[in-house]
Amino acid sequence: MTARTALLAIGAALVLAAAACGNGGTTTSSQNGFQPAPQTGGTLTVWVDSTRLAAAQLYQHEHPSVKMDIVTYDGDANGSNYLQTKVSLFNRTHSGWPDVVFSTQNNEISWAVRAGFTAPLNKGLINQSTLDNWAAGANDPCTTGGTLYCLRNDLAQTVLWYNATLMAQWGYQVPTTWPQYQALGTKVAAEHPGYLVGAAGDDFTPEIYLWAGKCGANQITGLKSVKVDTTSQNCSRMASLLDSLVKNGSLSTSSVFSSDFDKNDAGKILTMPGPSWYGGALFQGTFKVPAGQVAVAPMPQWPGDGSPSVGNVGGGTWLLSAHSTNLKAATAFLTWVTTAPDYQGKIAPGYPAYAPIAATWLANQAASHYYAGDISAPLQAAARQVWPGWGYGQFSQEAIWAATITPGLTAGRTIESMLPAWHDAIVNYARSDGYQVSQ
Amino acid sequence: MPTDTRRRAPAARSTATSRSRARPRRRGTGRLPHPLSALILLLFAVFFVLPMLWLLLAATKTDDQLVHDNPLSFGSWHALRANWDALTAFQGDTVFLWLRNSAVYSFGALVITLCVAIPAGYGLAMTRFRGRRTLLVATLVVMLMPNATLVVPLFLEVNAVGLIGSMWSIILPYSFYPFGVYLTYIYFTTTLPTELVAAAKLDGCSEFGVFRHVALPLAAPVVALVGFFSFVANWTNYFLPYVLLPESDQFPVQVGLGTLLDDVPQFNPTVGTLAVQRPELALATLLAITPVLVVFLFSQRFLVTGMLAGATKE
Amino acid sequence: MSSPRTSAGRAGAPLWQHAPRPGHGFVAVYVLLLIAFGVVPTGYAIYFAFTDAGNNFVGLSNFVAAAGDFRFVAAVEHVGLYLVFWLAALVVFVVGLALLLHRLAAGPSRVVRFLYYIPGALAGAASVMVWLFLLDPAVSPVSFLLRAAGFATFGQVIAPGHLPILFTLIAFWTGAGGWIVVMYGALNNISADLLEAARIDGANAWQTAWRVQIPLLRKWIVYMVILAFAGGTQLFVEPQLLAQASVGVAGRDYSLNQLSYDFAFQNDNVDTAAAISVELLLIGLVVAAVFVVRSGFFDAD
Repeated sequence: MTARTALLAIGAALVLAAAACGNGGTTTSSQNGFQPAPQTGGTLTVWVDSTRLAAAQLYQHEHPSVKMDIVTYDGDANGSNYLQTKVSLFNRTHSGWPDVVFSTQNNEISWAVRAGFTAPLNKGLINQSTLDNWAAGANDPCTTGGTLYCLRNDLAQTVLWYNATLMAQWGYQVPTTWPQYQALGTKVAAEHPGYLVGAAGDDFTPEIYLWAGKCGANQITGLKSVKVDTTSQNCSRMASLLDSLVKNGSLSTSSVFSSDFDKNDAGKILTMPGPSWYGGALFQGTFKVPAGQVAVAPMPQWPGDGSPSVGNVGGGTWLLSAHSTNLKAATAFLTWVTTAPDYQGKIAPGYPAYAPIAATWLANQAASHYYAGDISAPLQAAARQVWPGWGYGQFSQEAIWAATITPGLTAGRTIESMLPAWHDAIVNYARSDGYQVSQ
Repeated sequence: MPTDTRRRAPAARSTATSRSRARPRRRGTGRLPHPLSALILLLFAVFFVLPMLWLLLAATKTDDQLVHDNPLSFGSWHALRANWDALTAFQGDTVFLWLRNSAVYSFGALVITLCVAIPAGYGLAMTRFRGRRTLLVATLVVMLMPNATLVVPLFLEVNAVGLIGSMWSIILPYSFYPFGVYLTYIYFTTTLPTELVAAAKLDGCSEFGVFRHVALPLAAPVVALVGFFSFVANWTNYFLPYVLLPESDQFPVQVGLGTLLDDVPQFNPTVGTLAVQRPELALATLLAITPVLVVFLFSQRFLVTGMLAGATKE
Repeated sequence: MSSPRTSAGRAGAPLWQHAPRPGHGFVAVYVLLLIAFGVVPTGYAIYFAFTDAGNNFVGLSNFVAAAGDFRFVAAVEHVGLYLVFWLAALVVFVVGLALLLHRLAAGPSRVVRFLYYIPGALAGAASVMVWLFLLDPAVSPVSFLLRAAGFATFGQVIAPGHLPILFTLIAFWTGAGGWIVVMYGALNNISADLLEAARIDGANAWQTAWRVQIPLLRKWIVYMVILAFAGGTQLFVEPQLLAQASVGVAGRDYSLNQLSYDFAFQNDNVDTAAAISVELLLIGLVVAAVFVVRSGFFDAD
């Protein structure tokens, strides 16, 4: 049986050789300081998604002397984990990391710090004075133990979008408190059935309503620790508000991006609490609501609540590789792409997280004359009010809600009855991601 | 002919009974098929084709029409033109780059696969050598291994030989096609008449001679089958190029479709002005599947030729 | 064994007694590729399954960790149920359709085979959109069927109880065409004289199929069942595409293979992922072994 043993021997030898060369496990650079790789310069490798490709290309255009390699990837969207996968492969082969990466997710540091991928940004690489200009709390998902590991690209603060034409036509008042919002829903269901005051069928529904309502379902307390409480009063009163509106038909249980919503409900929106990007992406882009109808008001609040709070749906972050051999160029690009008016103010689709440019962006939006009334004041106010008690863990809250709550909603169950199941699902996913859970 | 143990008995009776048969049915004489079987075939045809028809028509609509109009209605030539322009404008004609990449990877691997799998299947089927069974078992084991954990070792291997970033990092793994080896193995074990092989050897042919002069000419169907399936497997593979390729201009069209999908506003709301509308995605999908269908049609002619009709008249 | 191969007729001395082994020549390059892209990665993956991140041997603890995950038991149930539907549908319909096709004239047969194959060209990301629309009663070309079944929204169609059937539907739609082509080709290899003889004997279509054609297709059917079983246990593409289409509402963490991917690529825990992969491999091998032994699959001449 020499042929067989020969085969086995070759196979075994190769396995051992591969095992010896490709070391398993991740390498971590020292966490306190940061030991840069030898700065040999070279091409600046930038990974962006196709929306941010324009930013990278603009930078190249304005700085022709910088040698750049621009790679487009999926931006880690839809739970692809592409960045994490590639970084872990690069960690095994000790080469190949990009210099600057854009991610559509806000939770990259939950794995990237341990993998030794991101460089600390507030230890000298970027001026503190620049960093101070980010909107309050915008960089919280990027910060752990006082060290900043990424920069927030844009904000997605929630506000109350509404149809000013219909509001005026029917003589209703724009609600400023949640009880008023609920009353509005009840009135609409009675007087104009079929019209909607909101939607609860998206996977980011908790980030709009429950985050704004200060529900403690996602209190990230450390890089691998979380506190989960879904049955507190904040959570259950918001849940029962949503349930009552679903029951009377003024809150849709379909996703705003579903064909079913587009076909049947797009023209029947009175109010819609949602993030800042609803204006362009949803009303203008998807529903094609005519100009002059869509307006913005501040998110409703609970009466007697001293600190107004709103939620946040999305954003994006830029990461700088700790293995970069061209830190100077990489940092220059990173700073430019997050703060320069040329990109963030004029071209970027989202509300900039860098506060000084936000005004430019808002002016641009207003100049399109699409919205009814002033959108700047509510958006700017909301940018300061994102509740800090909801964080970004490695497990996706959106995915958990979609898999746990949405099927139940479709089947006719109430959100309030599903809060304990939601709690259990969050705890399970958090633990399987290695989190310590306190409850 | 293999497996013909029953041949002999009926022959004796054929003359006696054939005249008494009322209406013999022959395959392929153009007679109408039994209505029930025709109905079943038709229903399944509708099942398989209807979604593709929808896709075809979707490429001629605008996104609004896709949602609001009848699903099987034709859109307009104008909308088709607009979708085409939008698709080619995406990152500057990138869709053609993707198609070109896919063609390079798939055809490159196809050539190697055919050169490797056909002889290997033949060798496993028709020759005896030590390790034959081991090889069959090893092939089966490797075929049945789930892919999730093969990515890491594959990446390390390809990196170790310095091929990351080269097209060979894709072509070489693609050309390993155990499914094709098994197809060839089964084909030769079930169809190659041993009388022919015996006759050739008696004539003094070496093993290789038998392969070249006897087996290969009769192997057109399996070459077409293996070639076709290999091409399709390579063309539709998503995960390997997704993980192994460092530059976005090396992506094959499957990964490219994933990129387009990520820019559809319904899946990625904040994409802004760069939105890829769904009819555009439908058009891209049609472009991506057309080569597969063309190759299918081309290889079909070889697949059908009745095999060894007349080859073993003794 | 029961393989009706004519083993008589090997002229001269058995080949393997001759000094140069031409058999090795035929398979040499294939063996290289097999080792490079088959044996080494598989061996490495098995190595991962029994070690931890620091390359220390840890016995079965990865398997225990995988089995203890909160999604594991549900995933096993899902896969089991799916397998039943999938194998039944595939074997019955593929063989049945191939047989029916075989009775058609060449021209129509070719057209129908092409039509059946078309969905097979659609894979992964390409079909996300197709199924998103197809399963949504608001916009689907088969909305009358969905409404007749009582579903008014996409969410109702993808309710958890319907998933095994949906995945079987999608997998069958994509995969059946290819197997029908293979079976059809295999049917072509059956001598027309044999069929003629059976017909003359008085066999009707069903008897011809059952007693003549299907037994002769045995090796091909075994091959299909082995691969379909392994493919079924390794269910991944269909739930993944539905998860993408529904933005996470259905199909996420549905199957064992998806769980393996989660471990590998979300938790960077290649070892537990490999443990699940090894389990799936073992199940596939056991079933394959049963079929192989009972049908003499490896017998050759």
